[in-house]
Amino acid sequence: MAGNVARGNRGAWAGATILVLMVVVAALAPVLAPYDPRLASGPPMAAPTRLHPLGTNDIGQDILSQWLWGGRASMLVGVLVTLLSTGLSWSVGITAGLWRRTAAPLMALTDLLLALPGIPLYLLLVAVIGPSQGNVVLALGLLSWPAFARIVRAQVIALRGERYLEAATALGASPLRVALRHLLPGTLSLLPAKVVLTLRFAIFTEATLAFLGLGDPAANSWGTMLSWAFNDPLLFLGRAWVWWVLPPAPAIVLVVLATTWLAVGLEHTPERRPTRPRNASARAALPQAAGQRASLRPKPSR
Amino acid sequence: MAWLLARYTGLANILVLLNFALPRLLPGDPLDVDSAEGMNAAVSTLTAEARAQLRATYHLDQPLTGQFWAYLQDLGHGDLGWSISQSAPVSQLIGERLPWTLALMLTALIIAGVGGTLLGLVSAWRGGRLDRLIVSTASGLAAIPEFLVAIALLLSFAVGLGWFPLHGGRSVFAPGPPGSAGPLGTFGDIAWHLTLPALTLVLAATASFVLLTRGMVQAILTAPYLTTARAKGLAEPAVALRHAFPNALLPVLTLFGLRVGQVLGGAIVVERVFAVPGLGLLAFEAIRARDYPVLQAIFLLSSLGVLLVNLAADLAYRWLEPRRGG
Repeated sequence: MAGNVARGNRGAWAGATILVLMVVVAALAPVLAPYDPRLASGPPMAAPTRLHPLGTNDIGQDILSQWLWGGRASMLVGVLVTLLSTGLSWSVGITAGLWRRTAAPLMALTDLLLALPGIPLYLLLVAVIGPSQGNVVLALGLLSWPAFARIVRAQVIALRGERYLEAATALGASPLRVALRHLLPGTLSLLPAKVVLTLRFAIFTEATLAFLGLGDPAANSWGTMLSWAFNDPLLFLGRAWVWWVLPPAPAIVLVVLATTWLAVGLEHTPERRPTRPRNASARAALPQAAGQRASLRPKPSR
Repeated sequence: MAWLLARYTGLANILVLLNFALPRLLPGDPLDVDSAEGMNAAVSTLTAEARAQLRATYHLDQPLTGQFWAYLQDLGHGDLGWSISQSAPVSQLIGERLPWTLALMLTALIIAGVGGTLLGLVSAWRGGRLDRLIVSTASGLAAIPEFLVAIALLLSFAVGLGWFPLHGGRSVFAPGPPGSAGPLGTFGDIAWHLTLPALTLVLAATASFVLLTRGMVQAILTAPYLTTARAKGLAEPAVALRHAFPNALLPVLTLFGLRVGQVLGGAIVVERVFAVPGLGLLAFEAIRARDYPVLQAIFLLSSLGVLLVNLAADLAYRWLEPRRGG
């Protein structure tokens, strides 16, 4: 099944391959890294040698080890934020779509968060609660759910009138069971887009925050590597930027591009199952589909 | 219309409330000796009298409602607090830095908006290979975070080729006494310094304009009124610009409002890379010094600014498209 999704789509394949490779490298960082990234292991600002394939930074830390561990930290933030944000998007979207009483306050909150400019908000929040990697995950995860909460809610509203839901309720299923067993599967087609977009957003924004000085000084991610490099006033006087700035920057671009290719690929791949039109007018515009569905429907007994 | 204004007023009120509440939601008391730590350790050396005086200065001796009232009054006077690290009123610091950020953002938004819509129009109109080239370049560039675009431009055009300055908003070691270059020379110097930062923002913001305009124009390519325009003998560029373009412009207006927040975030990052003395660099300095009043003021002003631009875009939309009503 997974093979079908990306068949004939080179972009999606390339993106998936790069991502898998990066994840493997990140997972194996403790094995692959030649030194402890936190300890000085050579002379400061040393050019690449056989002992230090990517040279060392201003305090003599091995840059290859930092790069490997940095990928691990960046990916971890990406995965955790994606889990948190996706969970929230779906909970809010389904709740607001099914229980109409909750819709007004939840959608007001969604609108408020959508109206705020992201970077200044994250800056203030992370500065106030303290720049640790956990707080960055919390801030990004707790504030990045609104866009998809609205999309999920729209999908829930489109599915709300379906007969199979009515049937489930009539058979005595609790509202929670209806929501989880019968409604949730209908919204899962939105999941790949959400995961890919949030992963990209999280890696992107964690690096940006770290670059602006809001990274965890103890954690070591691609963003903090760049931040330390740019903190050095002598960075561009020598050649050190070649081995200091060049490894982490393209790595972030590569991950972001890979997720983008994957997202675009998934978007253009025809879905395996025919999708349900989102609303009544769209359904009416597809008479064939409507006719088929009508014929499949059991005749009401009188 | 009334509903729209009420919505934006409500949002603005929530922002002000949020800005007031955020530092007060945190545990601890800035003047409590037991919870003082790190830089605040100096608190323990204060006499009880001095502490009471500090409490009165920051209205901390009043109940929450009194604090909020004092906060609103200060805000009404344009008093945004006192910068701890720079020992200056926050409003003064922001006044000094705001023009740089505004100049960067405006330049970038105008170039990206105008250039992006025109590229989108050409892309949809001509189609074929040119279309694919424009779309893939634009979406590729949009996928790269601003600070990496900035670093790439800095490395290639400032470090490598040396065509542009490495950092700053104007030349520090300009020949001759300050101001001797004349207004035109000063302007040229600033423009030279701001080229790469503005280019970064343009590259990041153009894609959404291209894609939106392209989509809008593609949707009306076969509209009967375009056939009419051609039938009465108009040249192709006139058909595109006079008859197709205006109909694609309305959503671009909304997009303009939506992009402001993102361009602002981009400007903050880009200023750090190029050390442009704008709000972004101020924010960066404030982060390093944990200067919360400055960060709060930057957040409040930028979010109110973004709200205002979106309100303007919404109003303009209603004015240009009466069918949407209001």
